[in-house]
Amino acid sequence: MRPIKLMGHERSLTQVKFNREGDILFSVAKDSSASIWYSSNGERLGTLEGHKGTIWSIDVDSKTSLCATGSADLSTRLWNVETGECVYSWEAASPVRRVAFSPDNLRLLAVNDKVMGSKGAISVYRINYDNVYEQSNEPILVIETREDATKVTVAGWSAEGKYIIAGHEDGYVSKYDGETGAFIETVRAHGIHNEEKVVSITDIQFADEDRLYFITASKDKNATLVDVDTFKVLKVYPADAPMNTAAITPKKNFVILGGGQEARNVTTTSESQGKFEARFYHKIFMDEIGRVKGHFGPLNTVAVHPDGTGYVSGGEDGFIRVHYYDKSYYDFEFDAERTDRVMSQAQKANA
Amino acid sequence: MCSLQIISPVRRVVYAHQAQNFPGPTLYSLLQTQPSANMFQSWADAEDDIPVPEITTNADGTKTVVSFRLNAKGQKVKITQKIKEVKVKERVHPSIAVRRGWAKYGKEKHTSPGPDTRTTQLGEKVELKLAASWKEMEKKEEDERAEEKANLVGTKRLKCRICGSGLHLTFQCPFKDTLGGEAVAEAAGEALESTKYVPAHLRAGAPSKEERDDSCTLRVSQLNTMVNEDMIRGELFGKYGPLQRVTLITHRDTGESKGFAYVTFHSESMAERALNELNGKGFYSLILRLEWSKKKKT
Repeated sequence: MRPIKLMGHERSLTQVKFNREGDILFSVAKDSSASIWYSSNGERLGTLEGHKGTIWSIDVDSKTSLCATGSADLSTRLWNVETGECVYSWEAASPVRRVAFSPDNLRLLAVNDKVMGSKGAISVYRINYDNVYEQSNEPILVIETREDATKVTVAGWSAEGKYIIAGHEDGYVSKYDGETGAFIETVRAHGIHNEEKVVSITDIQFADEDRLYFITASKDKNATLVDVDTFKVLKVYPADAPMNTAAITPKKNFVILGGGQEARNVTTTSESQGKFEARFYHKIFMDEIGRVKGHFGPLNTVAVHPDGTGYVSGGEDGFIRVHYYDKSYYDFEFDAERTDRVMSQAQKANA
Repeated sequence: MCSLQIISPVRRVVYAHQAQNFPGPTLYSLLQTQPSANMFQSWADAEDDIPVPEITTNADGTKTVVSFRLNAKGQKVKITQKIKEVKVKERVHPSIAVRRGWAKYGKEKHTSPGPDTRTTQLGEKVELKLAASWKEMEKKEEDERAEEKANLVGTKRLKCRICGSGLHLTFQCPFKDTLGGEAVAEAAGEALESTKYVPAHLRAGAPSKEERDDSCTLRVSQLNTMVNEDMIRGELFGKYGPLQRVTLITHRDTGESKGFAYVTFHSESMAERALNELNGKGFYSLILRLEWSKKKKT
């Protein structure tokens, strides 16, 4: 496959995201403008100008009408995707590390970092679609960091916005009620598989089709698959470098992990030693099945196309690479899968 | 100054995509032409202006484009292309079609439609070979490449000193009497330019110590002191393929062998074969000991 290289950012990427149909790609980086691209040919639709600091996160609603950005300039902004106009800005006490629209588009969560005396929290805002310029300034819900837990690094919504799932700095994942913000349960997803000291969770992405389970990536060189209802760790994908991002591919039973050596050590090692590849694992068998090279620095963020036809990676090197899979990707099966498929076909033919 | 017309009919079918408008080389820029000696014309025939491309539609629906351009040497090149245009219709969700028509904004406000090569480029081809044993596959490929390189070494060693070609010896060079044309002229120019002495290790193309890869190196010890480097190359490792490097460690003052040497192969598999077959075997009355020069990374 020949990736499309997008070079719209001057600094390292922090998040890339597809809209629901997968035709538009959103990207944010440590420079202060977000870029919006057509994913089919890499043409840039425009940039969102207005933030004064690193943009940590971006999310788009399912109608692709509004998108939200969370920035280190202590604000969460709401933008009109069609015109690139900033329609509203919420101020916060600390940098915003992650934003996410609920599946029904009506709520937006923002993760506030724990710095400058602020303890860190998840704020949930209601989105008013009738007049997008008039949003309520106050969050409808604030989930403060619990006394017995460390700060929240990432968060997201489960199916129908029922729960808010938060990843913590100490490798725990917590489940909160999406309506009331009540704490339900927590599980230690990272820091138990090996002896790593830094176990911060760096990414949470849900399975696209039903949002009933999600994948977490962590600095402890592992990714785990966790079920929302039972809240148990289903699968563990071990890697050989700190992981910054993980995604679940639709259609095929794979997961994609991205990461690499810490950014501060990159200059001291060669590209081949840095482990800057996107890694493909089989979702069920947990075996690593392939890697894609290309970036000069660690991968900071990966997003999969909702149709399962490709994926996008954004790296510390400031480049975005849009990949569309070759036929061999769709053909690949484990022996067990192939036998299973052939057997079931034979059974159908007999019946 | 004369411009030379080189006519070389190159035909090629280019499938133009309408739906996907990728950045990249345009249809007109991808042809190579070879200058041939008998086409040189008088300077009086020279034309300075380049005619506009001529497009004719053929009966079978294809188009023939005849265009001219100047190449790097200032020669005019005629390019004949046969193009078939294929319209690819794609059915998309209506909302996607609407979004395709949105006006650009922000930094892209005044740019023309289509991807901008400043922000969007096609990358190098990358491979994604999915397999349960992808690690072994990758290693095998690397070994194959090294072996190919090793096989090349034998044929490439002898080079003509006049034109640099590896196909003939210096005394057989067809440019022997003409002083070698451009290559010799260039070399002479270089020699005149730099009068200052440059130490060998600072010259361009000098091997650097850091680049050395010791993964294919064996340490051979318990060698008889009468064994020299040529004997190691020929008698001992001759059948394990050409060696990249042989270093016999000798005493600084007497020049006498210290009884061990470092031998670098072109690939790890070759080195491993030699190690397995020769370790513990006798050579000039002594029992050889072979080991990896560096501890292998696991």
